[in-house]
Amino acid sequence: MGDIVVRLTGLTRSFGPVRALAGIDLSIARGSIVALLGPNGAGKTTAISIMLGLAPADAGTVALFGGSPTEAARAGRVGAMPQGAGVVSAATVREVIELARALYPRPSATDRILTTAGLTGQANRRLDRLSGGEAQRARFAFALAGGPELLVLDEPTASMDVAARREFWAALRRYAAEGNTVLFSTHQLHEADEYADRIVVLAAGRVVADAPPAQIRALAGSRTVAFDVAGAAITGLESLPGVRSVEVRGDRVVLTTDDADATVIALAGTRGFRGLEVSVALEPAFLTLTDAGGDN
Amino acid sequence: MRAYLRFEVRRLIRDPRLMLFSVLGPVLTYLIFSGFAGSGDQLEGVAAPAALMVGLAGYGAVAGVLSVGSAVAQERAVGWLHQLRVTPLPPWRAVVTKALVSTLTGVPSVVAVGVAGRLQQDVHLDAARWTALLLLLWAGSIPFALVGLAIGYGLAPQVAQVVNFLAFLGLSVLGGLLLPVTYFPAALRHLAHLLPTYRYAELGWRSVAGLPPTPSGLGLLLAWTLLFAAVAAWAYRRAAVGR
Repeated sequence: MGDIVVRLTGLTRSFGPVRALAGIDLSIARGSIVALLGPNGAGKTTAISIMLGLAPADAGTVALFGGSPTEAARAGRVGAMPQGAGVVSAATVREVIELARALYPRPSATDRILTTAGLTGQANRRLDRLSGGEAQRARFAFALAGGPELLVLDEPTASMDVAARREFWAALRRYAAEGNTVLFSTHQLHEADEYADRIVVLAAGRVVADAPPAQIRALAGSRTVAFDVAGAAITGLESLPGVRSVEVRGDRVVLTTDDADATVIALAGTRGFRGLEVSVALEPAFLTLTDAGGDN
Repeated sequence: MRAYLRFEVRRLIRDPRLMLFSVLGPVLTYLIFSGFAGSGDQLEGVAAPAALMVGLAGYGAVAGVLSVGSAVAQERAVGWLHQLRVTPLPPWRAVVTKALVSTLTGVPSVVAVGVAGRLQQDVHLDAARWTALLLLLWAGSIPFALVGLAIGYGLAPQVAQVVNFLAFLGLSVLGGLLLPVTYFPAALRHLAHLLPTYRYAELGWRSVAGLPPTPSGLGLLLAWTLLFAAVAAWAYRRAAVGR
């Protein structure tokens, strides 16, 4: 443990006037399951494409296993489901799996891949005759077949039904438990919360939060209450109802609270305030994730 | 690389739609038109039935080889190109394999039109000559495979299909594969002599006549091949790194 599998430093990328990535730093340790969480357009796919060597960055560096993405891919250390839910026509599930097994130096056993991806019954079906969820699992099987040390999955559960998702995540957990590393992107907080052991929140091309799920969840529900210091005493604020932290930013006091109403009422009753402002703790873009909650 | 080749060939065999157009089309055309040519007529230095046979075999081969371009555009659109790039397969091997598979797509129509020539028009060649003809028409289809790849890597699927068809029609008709250039007006005939399709069929005509390829023909084919290879490589690089 402890060694770094993925290291991104200062990644930026613009498409014309649109800033897709505005400076991303990220290190991922071996054996972890990391979720890249953010709304559509947050930069998840761009970050993943650059990480896999499929797109160039304007600035910044990518290292996979200490080398370039291309070197890592040639060495068979990376498996991926890049964006796009398509499969090639006129090939069977077994054929793509066998192809991946032949390309990678240390492949897993075919039966095991089929079981893991939940495709045992569909092994001889043509890819273009699979349902959306099955096709997605076939792409997962292809990513998994070579026995890579790092799996990078861009929105892996899109078009999977509930049962398929459950099996998919169970398979991913087993895979990570063998000492492998997983990075997946999603726009659903609950998915990241349930299956990742670390969540990196992207919004507008920046990392706006990077913490274990419990902390992200707490942050998502909290509000900040800010007001002018104006010479008032700032001791004892942390014991007001709901308050989790107290911060002084210049001449403003910022309280992070789980219960903004109670905090404000207590404030008003005890010491008064000027220039009060209540807002969400995370960027508004991130709120869309928590609002939706379930599927969309 | 062998595994990828096997994978692609198996896909090709399983999708007979590709073949239908490139095999049935030229065979039917041959059966209809070869009857009009008098047995004594000479075209391109060989007997008319054999000349038409070579032209239509080439026509079918070009159709088949180019059709892979549309398939490549489709595969690129669904992300297969990116999927492969993350594996240990070096990109140039993926491209070379795809080009090789493209050229194989042309073989069935060459064989089918050859069989039609032998059975219906009694085209007589010895075994070595038949073999030489098949190999030349196979190897000579490389520039068209590269055109297909350039189109497939460079254009969106719907556009690729249209451009493919126009390229096929333009090259094969103007190159005299469908209608012999003897019947062309002089200006068009001169143009035809510059096109890769004419020089491709010329390989076949000369071989049937028992002659080696002309240096100018080989030179032109090579020049076109290099040009198409450069365009295909450029289109691939743009498709692989970008978005």
